[in-house]
Amino acid sequence: MSNSKLYKGSLTTIILKLLNEHDKMYGYEITQKVKALTKGELKITEGALYPALHKLEAEGLLDVEVAKVDNRLRKYYKLTETGTKETVSKLEELAEYIKTMQALVNPKLA
Amino acid sequence: MKLTKEEIKYIDNYLIKNKVKFWDVRLELLDHIVSAVEDKIETEGISFNEALLDVHRSFGSQFVEFGVSKTKVFDKGLYQSNIGFKKFIRNKQKELGRKQRKLYWKTFVPFIKSAKFFLEFILVLLLVFLIFQYNQKAAFVVAMIISVAPEAFKIFNGVFSKSSKKSLRVQLAFTLSSLFLSFNYFFIAGFNEVFEDQTPKPYIYGIVFYLFIFIFLRHSFNIYNKIIRENQADYKSMIS
Repeated sequence: MSNSKLYKGSLTTIILKLLNEHDKMYGYEITQKVKALTKGELKITEGALYPALHKLEAEGLLDVEVAKVDNRLRKYYKLTETGTKETVSKLEELAEYIKTMQALVNPKLA
Repeated sequence: MKLTKEEIKYIDNYLIKNKVKFWDVRLELLDHIVSAVEDKIETEGISFNEALLDVHRSFGSQFVEFGVSKTKVFDKGLYQSNIGFKKFIRNKQKELGRKQRKLYWKTFVPFIKSAKFFLEFILVLLLVFLIFQYNQKAAFVVAMIISVAPEAFKIFNGVFSKSSKKSLRVQLAFTLSSLFLSFNYFFIAGFNEVFEDQTPKPYIYGIVFYLFIFIFLRHSFNIYNKIIRENQADYKSMIS
């Protein structure tokens, strides 16, 4: 990934967006999905993913479900009702940010 | 390629040796590491050891080779730096504590407004004030015992329940009432100090204090029970 600092502030929005599109996901699945969607450009490290997931869980935006898979327990994360509402607002914020950055980087000449 | 039971056990032991002692923290790490190792072996064609080493580093833990003989470098190196897991546990502890405190205050008002609590509190009041008519000191002791009784259950559960042992969420739920319990110690010290020379002591203050504290400790017991129920369900699935 070229510059991880640029993506840092958007990590929670990325997680919320993915969970909005899938019923439930587990930690490793999220990292792999992001890697696949961005063709390897964005790799979420474990050190960044789990603090973000645990924070979203503490804020009541994510709910947790534990299931047995292949001789071990797997923790699935899914959006709560508040989490679904927050996803919409976070995506709007991100779209606004992208628009502002585009105006700054490629200003249209009057 | 799916890992064998022995390989999964090896990874679980590797986590224990890296001081991830809470089983409810380890279960998430174990699943992540096993998934990542399986994936790496399949897509990158590397060995189990190489894949585990890669995942070890990806958590921010270093692999220290200095001063270790080459035949033992893999095993020794894996346990020389657990900084990534330390950070993971610290963060988890912080957020889990926040989640439980949030749950406590969110459910506090609905609980004290509930008919079940109302009835329970009335019964406690009746009992304490009935004893008060005959012996003020005994009423004070009864009020104190009733208010701290849930804490005794917590200690009992912590010692005898397998699922509660080495569980981070149970440990945090146990300390949820520590703020209110600390008021208890201050009260006892203050009460003895202020009314040192007075006989008989004005036990009514103590009774009112313990009946007030009872409300908060009783609700922390609700949260503790909820958490141990969830914990037991996960523990059962884990050992089944």
